[in-house]
Amino acid sequence: MSKANTAMGKRTIKPKKLFGAAITYLIILAVCFIFLFPILWLVLASFSKTGSIYSFKGFFPTSYSFDSFIKLFTDTGMYNYPRWFGNTLFISLMSSLIGTTLTILTAYCMSRFRFKSRKAMMKTTLVLGMFPSFMTMTAVYILMTQFNLINQQWGLIMIYSAGAPMGYLTQKGFFDTISVSIDEAARIDGASNFKIFVKITLPLAAPMIVYTLLSSFVWPWSDFILPKLLLKNKDLYTVAVGLMSLDNTEFSRFAAGSVFIAIPIIVFYFALSKFLINGLSAGAVKQ
Amino acid sequence: MENSTYTGFFGKIKSRTRGFFSDKAKKIKSFFVTLPQRLKNKFSGAREILTQGNGKVCASMLVMGLGQLLYRQWAKGILYLLVQIAFVAYFVLKGAGDFIGFFTLGVKQGNAWYGVEGDNSVIMLLMGILSIIAIIFYIVIYISNIKDAYRIQCAADTLKKPESFKKELSSLLDKNFHKTALALPIVGVCVFSILPIIFMILIAFTNYGGAVVPPALVDWVGFENFSKILTLGQFAPTFFKIFGWNILWAVLSTFINYFAGLGLALLLNKKCVKGKTFWRLFPILAYAVPGFITLIAFKFMFSYGGPINQMITSAGGAAIGFLDIDAKWTARLIGLMVNAWLNIPSGMLLATGILSNLNTDLYEAARVDGASAWKQFVKITLPYVLFATMPVLISQFIANFNNFGIFYFLRGGLYMDGYFLASDTDLLINWLYNMSIDNNYYSIGAAISIIIFIVTSIISLAVYVMSPSYKQEETYQ
Repeated sequence: MSKANTAMGKRTIKPKKLFGAAITYLIILAVCFIFLFPILWLVLASFSKTGSIYSFKGFFPTSYSFDSFIKLFTDTGMYNYPRWFGNTLFISLMSSLIGTTLTILTAYCMSRFRFKSRKAMMKTTLVLGMFPSFMTMTAVYILMTQFNLINQQWGLIMIYSAGAPMGYLTQKGFFDTISVSIDEAARIDGASNFKIFVKITLPLAAPMIVYTLLSSFVWPWSDFILPKLLLKNKDLYTVAVGLMSLDNTEFSRFAAGSVFIAIPIIVFYFALSKFLINGLSAGAVKQ
Repeated sequence: MENSTYTGFFGKIKSRTRGFFSDKAKKIKSFFVTLPQRLKNKFSGAREILTQGNGKVCASMLVMGLGQLLYRQWAKGILYLLVQIAFVAYFVLKGAGDFIGFFTLGVKQGNAWYGVEGDNSVIMLLMGILSIIAIIFYIVIYISNIKDAYRIQCAADTLKKPESFKKELSSLLDKNFHKTALALPIVGVCVFSILPIIFMILIAFTNYGGAVVPPALVDWVGFENFSKILTLGQFAPTFFKIFGWNILWAVLSTFINYFAGLGLALLLNKKCVKGKTFWRLFPILAYAVPGFITLIAFKFMFSYGGPINQMITSAGGAAIGFLDIDAKWTARLIGLMVNAWLNIPSGMLLATGILSNLNTDLYEAARVDGASAWKQFVKITLPYVLFATMPVLISQFIANFNNFGIFYFLRGGLYMDGYFLASDTDLLINWLYNMSIDNNYYSIGAAISIIIFIVTSIISLAVYVMSPSYKQEETYQ
């Protein structure tokens, strides 16, 4: 009886399975289309010849050219894109370097040392993380005016790098996985903690350092709230603030500028997609 | 039987919660029971120093570093002495005035017309905070000075050589390396995260904002701002309307993003799907584009001149104002959809990572027992994923609760009738922005951010403390 049943089942399942697979692929195609379409739209719009969104036919431009890109970098009278790009690059690079140093130091100490205020500090950073960074924006704004850091790129860099150590948990998780026995062996040989950190831990943590460098680069690179608040001078704008200030009719210019700034981040995400999954699930429980 | 996994799962949460609270209750009880003993222990050190300390320790109490100097600990003594001199100089010249100013917030109103330079209350508040921090720092150093002097006395009494200054310095790179390494991050966090938060909290208890900005004098008003938000006709209706929508938004968007992300991960995990890495590229692509670009692009897409309206008009219809002032639910739905587009990819990546750790034997066993695919999902996948991602889920809920970007870009700066400086899609965080950055209602804005903070932090701290990743932290090392 049961044997017959399974035999029957096998025969009937095959077309059903095929049908199921077809449906699966259909849904996947639809989903991929949904995710791809707005990006495709932006990329094609950046190659539009006329530049205005009103000249489009439906979603797509009627004729294509490189004009928007050329205009983006040459027509700098009103919208100085090369300058914005340089500003963004400077701010992001500096914040990334300083922020990574601070984050790695914090994560290493939290992972390797057991000191009195450690648990309290971990809880404090968690609670501080509950404040969305710009909830205190008014206060930051007033403070920055007092420190004379409005319209100063270093003001932004300081805020970004000082905020970076708050996200030390991923890095701490990484240091936790590096076995302590290596440290102990080195300590028996008479190495100080500083020496162990520089000579042993840092080289072992090289991939994590690269990850931290890149991810702390991305935040200032794509942030719009802080620069909008602190940079009032047009020459100091970052790309985000600059693109936000574009006139409604300049759609192609916006698209071209966006494509240009999104490319580095997209490359970074693809290169690190494996890391990203690990980083994202770092807050989750491993079983 | 049917719901055994569910009851098991929720039962676990329930017992965990109960365990958490009974744990806390026990802790609180033992806190009070052992309090006298612990206080005694704490002060026994102080008493020991007071009773056993010799004249040189007392000298350190009078003038920091004097005891150390008498014991011929030159470098340390001079350092402590310098700290003392610097602090006294600061306090006499500036600190005392700043400290008093913290309470008065200025007494002399400036008047540009008569050339009177008055007090600037905001700067006085800031300087007041800094003076309090300076005083706390000084007290900490003062106590360490006395302890240090006493330590030297003990060492001298037992005829041991006290630790040399050089040795103590070198310990900063070894035993106390964490003190050196954490100094800069802590200072940074204090200045750029904690100071603004303290400042904001204090502003919530003043009347700073509106017409009361320097040169006008700001005053302490207690809880007036909070009672204004919760009772006054001007703010209260807007607050409750926005709060309701904010909760609905946070629940809906978290739910949609989480389950759509999980669904997508499961779909791409199916055995019959070939080229998984290729298909995963599309959501990752969407994830990689900076958020503000996507949001501005979507605004263009739904605008009057945008492609959707162009298609509608060329088909003979009338253009639709998707994000117009009266487009309450269309705008809200578009917001939900755009937010889903932005956040499903990260949800998918997360779920993919979690699913790859899931033991496949369970499915094998379930298949042998004849469980359907749906049953397998409900009984194996869902409880496991839910349990593993609980902390992430909470943080996503909070991120959605405070999702500033979506409606700032889609419908920013829109003020509606029936709302005070807000529109019907604005979340509390947008209202806060409209009030304090655009319209100078600083104190009310600060009060709102405190309310947001209280609501969100209670949820997340409780869940974090309960989560196994906090409790079993050491087991993974």
